[in-house]
Amino acid sequence: MIELEHLEKRYPNAVPLKDVNAVIHDGEVISIIGPSGTGKSTLIRCIDMLERPTGGRILLNGENICAPGYDVIKARRKMGMVFQAFHLFGHLNVIENIMQAQIDILKRPKNEAYETGIRLLRRVGLADKEKNYPDELSGGQQQRIAIARTLAMDPEVILFDEPTSALDPTMVGEVQSVIRDLTKMDKTMLIVTHELNFARAISSRVFYMDQGGIYEDGTPEQIFENPRRDLTKRFVRKFRVLELMIDGPYYDFAGAGGEIDRYCLQNDISTHTKYRIRLAFEELTSAILRPVLDHVPILITVEHSGKGAGTEVNALYGGERFDPAERGDGFSYKVLQSTVKSLSYHYDPDAEHANTVRVVI
Amino acid sequence: MTVKRNDYRGLVRRERGRTFVLMILLLASAVFFLEACGRKDEGITSLEQLNQPGVRIGVATDSTEFSIVEKEFPKAEIVYTKDLMLSFTSVAQGKLDAFVNNRLNMELAIRNGLQGVRLLDATIGDGNVGAVAISPVTKIPNLKDQINEFLREIEKDGTFDDIRERWLVKHDMAMPDIPEAADPKFHLIAATTGVSEPFNCYVNGELSGYDIELARRFALWAGASLEFKIYDYEGIIAAAQAGDVDCIFANLYVTDERRQVLEFSDPTYVVEVGVMVQDTGSHGAADQQGGIAHFLVSLKESFLKTFIREDRWQLFASGAVTTLLLTMLSILFGTLMGFALFMICRRGNRVANALTRFFVWLIEGMPVVVLLMILYYIVFSGTRMSGTMVSIITFTLIFTAAVFNMLKAGVAAVGTGQMEAAYSLGYTDQKAFFRIILPQAIPHVLPSYKSQVKALIKATAVVGYVAVQDLTKIGDIVRSRTYEAFFPLIAVAVFYFLLAGLLIFIVNRIEIRAFAGRRARKEGRDD
Repeated sequence: MIELEHLEKRYPNAVPLKDVNAVIHDGEVISIIGPSGTGKSTLIRCIDMLERPTGGRILLNGENICAPGYDVIKARRKMGMVFQAFHLFGHLNVIENIMQAQIDILKRPKNEAYETGIRLLRRVGLADKEKNYPDELSGGQQQRIAIARTLAMDPEVILFDEPTSALDPTMVGEVQSVIRDLTKMDKTMLIVTHELNFARAISSRVFYMDQGGIYEDGTPEQIFENPRRDLTKRFVRKFRVLELMIDGPYYDFAGAGGEIDRYCLQNDISTHTKYRIRLAFEELTSAILRPVLDHVPILITVEHSGKGAGTEVNALYGGERFDPAERGDGFSYKVLQSTVKSLSYHYDPDAEHANTVRVVI
Repeated sequence: MTVKRNDYRGLVRRERGRTFVLMILLLASAVFFLEACGRKDEGITSLEQLNQPGVRIGVATDSTEFSIVEKEFPKAEIVYTKDLMLSFTSVAQGKLDAFVNNRLNMELAIRNGLQGVRLLDATIGDGNVGAVAISPVTKIPNLKDQINEFLREIEKDGTFDDIRERWLVKHDMAMPDIPEAADPKFHLIAATTGVSEPFNCYVNGELSGYDIELARRFALWAGASLEFKIYDYEGIIAAAQAGDVDCIFANLYVTDERRQVLEFSDPTYVVEVGVMVQDTGSHGAADQQGGIAHFLVSLKESFLKTFIREDRWQLFASGAVTTLLLTMLSILFGTLMGFALFMICRRGNRVANALTRFFVWLIEGMPVVVLLMILYYIVFSGTRMSGTMVSIITFTLIFTAAVFNMLKAGVAAVGTGQMEAAYSLGYTDQKAFFRIILPQAIPHVLPSYKSQVKALIKATAVVGYVAVQDLTKIGDIVRSRTYEAFFPLIAVAVFYFLLAGLLIFIVNRIEIRAFAGRRARKEGRDD
């Protein structure tokens, strides 16, 4: 059991953790989510004592590990950490990476350390890479080995610091499935992540961190479906709805394409649908609306329901009534109409954006 | 404007042609100019010709002749030179218009085969008085009185005349056999240079000469055991001042400035001051006789003179051993100390880091030779520590600073993530450093380590300043006898290459041994 009491971490020019309180029970799998810079990583680095808290207490099985004179090595032996950048030891090959600490720290005999290493390599699916050096492996493979290295020390608690953030999108899956597999082991796990679907799927509890503390704490259903507090709501909605504001003639369309890709990846949207979203976005903006609405800002929202109801792409803009079906580039409009489920237009002079073009894909 | 391909090529060709012609013209005019310079006069025949603006007259840095030159040739430019043999060569090559020095030295050099120079018949000034210099802080009571009494006695019984006759008139380089004092009453340390024929120089690998014979006879007469220490003329006075030696037997001239810091015996020799100038006639003639055959013969002659005659190779061998020993010990101690220093500073202790930063700043900011002299003549002056010891200390300090910096850079290159990963697995700080960080830092460190080793070997060439006869110093000693500037220099350079090769070979062997396990595993990976 880990208890966090009024935990504070203060740097000379920033205070990432102001007052963190939580009780983490054995066997819980906790995802820590939240915007960048809200102290998620700092929190788990404090728990592993890689950063020394400037205030408050961390109790590990009732012992205050922040107390002066407490042997942090003792606490670290009960915990394992998986880093964003893997940090495999470059001078050792895969099996040595897993064996070294078992021999040096746990004083296991070599053959026993080797047996453990091989068993864990099989578990993460990389038994054939035993003799390779880290720089010969892909990021996903390196992270799986880093996980095996951590498991070899039999930790009670495993801390994951954004384990998939440094990975190429194609390798995120393999690492996530290894972590999903670990949740069956009944070990306590704390996972800092930006992959909300993943967090939702594997965790028993979610911490939403903001404003220097745990802003909302609840089950995945509560946090993702019915968040109670404002910042959580905004964060979850922002995750579900992509908003792009086209505010001038020099808008970065290439960057917008990247945003759409990222959104689709986060929301498990198929490649097929992704291309149709991009098509809708491009036709709506550059071919249909932009030539007419020269200086009117256009807000594009993309929302994927995830329940078979399709994906909505909305274009909202102010100014006078302008229905692209009646005026403008009729050809592009027809092309767009033929590739989507529905295409409709509303005009509401009292709304913030009077004109709305709704596309359902 | 468009240029057709062929036109363009033609243009380039023409351009190249023009450049070529221009280059030839430039070269030709340069050669013509140099020739004209060379022939600007028929050579210097009288002293008056030297007292002209633009005339460059060389004097040795450590000598007293500059005051004479200043008085006699006020319009000429005085150039200070360090090395007697190279000064002679400068005159032969026309880099200096004249060189003013002890006439006897220069006569001997020409008699021994120095070419392209001649001496003016006239001498300048009243001559220099050479004497035995006595350290003001020597522990031997009445040393000056004893030496004077000894000089009066040998003058009276005719021994002094005989010594002068043999060394300075006949140039008979045979050292007579003088027994050592049986049952010595005190120990006498005498400084000398070993590079000033016929006063003190190496003959058949033995220290010999006018001064040396005087010193030995004095030791016998006074009942003292005698030890010689070899210095450059630049360092010899400081050594006596500091009390590292009791006296100087090196044909040192008496001047007012020197009288303020040293005591002098009665004169042992009065030196005429002569002028050496370029011998334009014979130099040109010798060149025209030249050709490859002549070159090869002279090369063979140089080789014989430098290495074989008087078994001089033994001198080179001992110099090489000294340089090697000095370098290896400095590398060994410097590596250990640099590592220790790094380990102390690694934890971020502020006092240790500030002190180390100061130490590294001090060592790296100073020319090696200055550091060496400061340690020898100031820091360890009272300790009678040998020049070799002080040299080893100096180069150990230099290498310590280098190793410290290399480790700092090498460890920084490994990255903090590795350390954090080790911590999170339960490693202690020390264990993580030795098991995880250091093995990864060493490959970053090794290349610069090797170049530092090479730099250190070369840097040791200055230890001649503190009475150590290393390779470079041996080169100087041999050149002072053979009157050859070129060959011993090249030989010394070759020796340094060989020594560097040897040390790098040793470092490589250690490297292979240290990483043998890892290499074997890496190679055996596909089995």
